[in-house]
Amino acid sequence: MTTELITQETLANGRTYIHRTAAHCETGVTCALFRDKGLEISEPMIFGIGSGIFFGHLPFIKQTGLPISTFRSIPGLVFKKAAKRLGAKVFRKRFRNQQKGMDELRRVIRTGQIAAVTTNVYWLSFFPRRYRFNFSGHNFIVLYENENGFRISDPALLEYTTDCSTEDMERARFARGPMEPRGLMYYPISINPHPDIRKACIIGMQDTCKQMLGIPIPLFGVKGMRHVAQKVIKWPEKLGYIEACRQLAHILRLQEEMGTGGAGFRYMFAAFLQEAGELFGSKELNELSNEMTAIGDIWREFAVVSSRIIKQRKTKSEETFEKAGGLMLICAGREEELFKNLRDVVGKLKA
Amino acid sequence: MKVNEVPQDDVFDYSEGIKKGNYALDDKGKYVMVPSKGWVIDEMINRMAYDEYKAKEEETRKAVLAGRKSPLAYYMELRQMTPEILGKTAGIATFRVKRHLRPEIFTKLKPSVLEAYAKALAITTEELITVPKNPRER
Repeated sequence: MTTELITQETLANGRTYIHRTAAHCETGVTCALFRDKGLEISEPMIFGIGSGIFFGHLPFIKQTGLPISTFRSIPGLVFKKAAKRLGAKVFRKRFRNQQKGMDELRRVIRTGQIAAVTTNVYWLSFFPRRYRFNFSGHNFIVLYENENGFRISDPALLEYTTDCSTEDMERARFARGPMEPRGLMYYPISINPHPDIRKACIIGMQDTCKQMLGIPIPLFGVKGMRHVAQKVIKWPEKLGYIEACRQLAHILRLQEEMGTGGAGFRYMFAAFLQEAGELFGSKELNELSNEMTAIGDIWREFAVVSSRIIKQRKTKSEETFEKAGGLMLICAGREEELFKNLRDVVGKLKA
Repeated sequence: MKVNEVPQDDVFDYSEGIKKGNYALDDKGKYVMVPSKGWVIDEMINRMAYDEYKAKEEETRKAVLAGRKSPLAYYMELRQMTPEILGKTAGIATFRVKRHLRPEIFTKLKPSVLEAYAKALAITTEELITVPKNPRER
């Protein structure tokens, strides 16, 4: 692996690719793919237009035996939605046959077209050892082939491009288990260089509000947050203190560490609202951005309080599960308010 | 979160010097991208999960040496797999994988089956029939 910090690469057909750091893998990858096609767009913009913010509690999908709470939409959806709303034609395919999947990737990058792939983190040896968990849903961009295998750009993990061996690539793309990537690769074929960004923003925001407020199942959106918050409060009684800590740690991991973004996503959405506010010249959107920042800060506080509970699980500290759950309830309440306001504001915006 | 509030806790064992992107507010109240060296809270949560895997792996290793489980069980834990995942990867039915976790059945396996497991676990067949004598270093 190279240690030089290369951020600019020449592709197979002589074009230049510029690597930029992003906060999240899917939005970062989508953003880089669109930029490569000549559309200058920021990562938060992609996040907002692709309606990336979400909350869902999935007790029926288990990871290491614990239910998943997600702070994002289903992997792959942001790219799909953003592409549709920005008028891009995309190639997106999974493969039954491993060899065919690798051949197609090679064929595409040889033409100078960069392609994003979905992978399982466990098999990626360029990842730090402690990041490598059996999780299928990490995205990065393949630039070209070289003597070590493939040259790749992983905007969410690294500040520079790196190499990924052929074996790693095959294993990671075709790993079996929950959420199998089945060799998923995707890239835009063509994109409208002057899309109607205002319209795309409006659709994105409307969809976001629907996701957060409108799903009539108590596991999703703001309702889902409340559901989990109430569960958190009851955990110590129901599961015992140690197991409750384990479950809380699991939520935190999904929230902060695995890049699925609790607070981080709130800040990114705030950044989107800010940019949209400028685009529409709307003070109201700007105010909502400030409110979202404040909510992000509470999510962070939730993480801090929870970590204190977990750290002192043997002595039982002054921080309680009631407080952690309470903070989550505050987040739910304020987000409900925010998305309701956003819905009203969006209704008044003109494309 | 403001730019100067972005955590910059450098725990090398965890992040190996890799920075993660964060959005934070600059002096003028504008959102900018700020690379972060890491956060102790992330590190702690990660360590808990990592140690849990480690502990399971070590427990299984001892069970294999004591003859209660087959080496296959150890390598399955090592790769963070379950019988379902391993079965799918190796192309062997889950119920058979579960049987093969018993040492007395594992020793009677045909070379072709061992090869399928070795390939699925990215190890050699020689490695597959034994487990390391000492715990794996972190």
